Amino acid sequence: MPGPLGILYVFLGSTIILLLAILAWPSVTVTRGGKILAFVGFFVLPVFCGVWGASEHFERSKRTAFCLSCHVMEPYGQSLHIDDANHIPAAHFQNHRIPVDEACYTCHTDYAMYGTIKVKLHGLRHVYVQYFGKAMQPIQLYEPFNNRECLHCHSGARSFENDIHTAMIDQLKSGQVSCVSSGCHDTVHDVVSLSKFKVWSPTE
Amino acid sequence: MNLDNTRLPRTFRLSGVLLVLGLLTEMLSLHWIHPLAFMGFIIVGGALLGVGVLLFLYSLLVMNHPTGSADSE
Repeated sequence: MPGPLGILYVFLGSTIILLLAILAWPSVTVTRGGKILAFVGFFVLPVFCGVWGASEHFERSKRTAFCLSCHVMEPYGQSLHIDDANHIPAAHFQNHRIPVDEACYTCHTDYAMYGTIKVKLHGLRHVYVQYFGKAMQPIQLYEPFNNRECLHCHSGARSFENDIHTAMIDQLKSGQVSCVSSGCHDTVHDVVSLSKFKVWSPTE
Repeated sequence: MNLDNTRLPRTFRLSGVLLVLGLLTEMLSLHWIHPLAFMGFIIVGGALLGVGVLLFLYSLLVMNHPTGSADSE
């Protein structure tokens, strides 16, 4: 059974064949049925395939493989395999606390209204810098990492409800205290010292 | 749609060619998980499909307008 992508390919191929057939044999459009067929081939199917394709591409842009396909991001991908539970991204990735296929997006999206659009625009800027500019070294976030992205999953979780977190929950929610840069969970993507760490690889 | 001739009007043919190229671009871009594939689909494929569909709709309007005439060569 073909997956959604296979079905999209079938639609794309069928639409192309239909269009080429109409272009090659325009006499089919003489009849009422032929006119309807031409409308489906020239309008309905291309719009349908275009919208589906755009949706597929937007979903793919969340994939870990997509983010790591640029050379400049490779060390950040390698940092997900550091064999040390104190490394926050590695611990999340290796223990499947985040979807492995969408690891980058899950933590680096913006869990606010229009957040997805905002990160897509950032992505377009990344592409521009990759091919027409020079990436900053070391790479830094546009804004300090927002606790909202951590609390999106951790807030309300049993493992999060300890005395320390409970005592400072208001400060965490307001951003007065950062989860990742206030001395608590501050080992994130240590790409500079990457070679010093043991690397974990799945047994599969 | 006045497509009673054995040849399609030029605008319809151009629209068809643009749509085929747009769909081929989409097919090609879906083979590759990379930001350039995404950009290629959005910029090249999207433009070809958009212009192709708009040209088709424009052709329909011109063909059905009593005083209008699409270039039917």
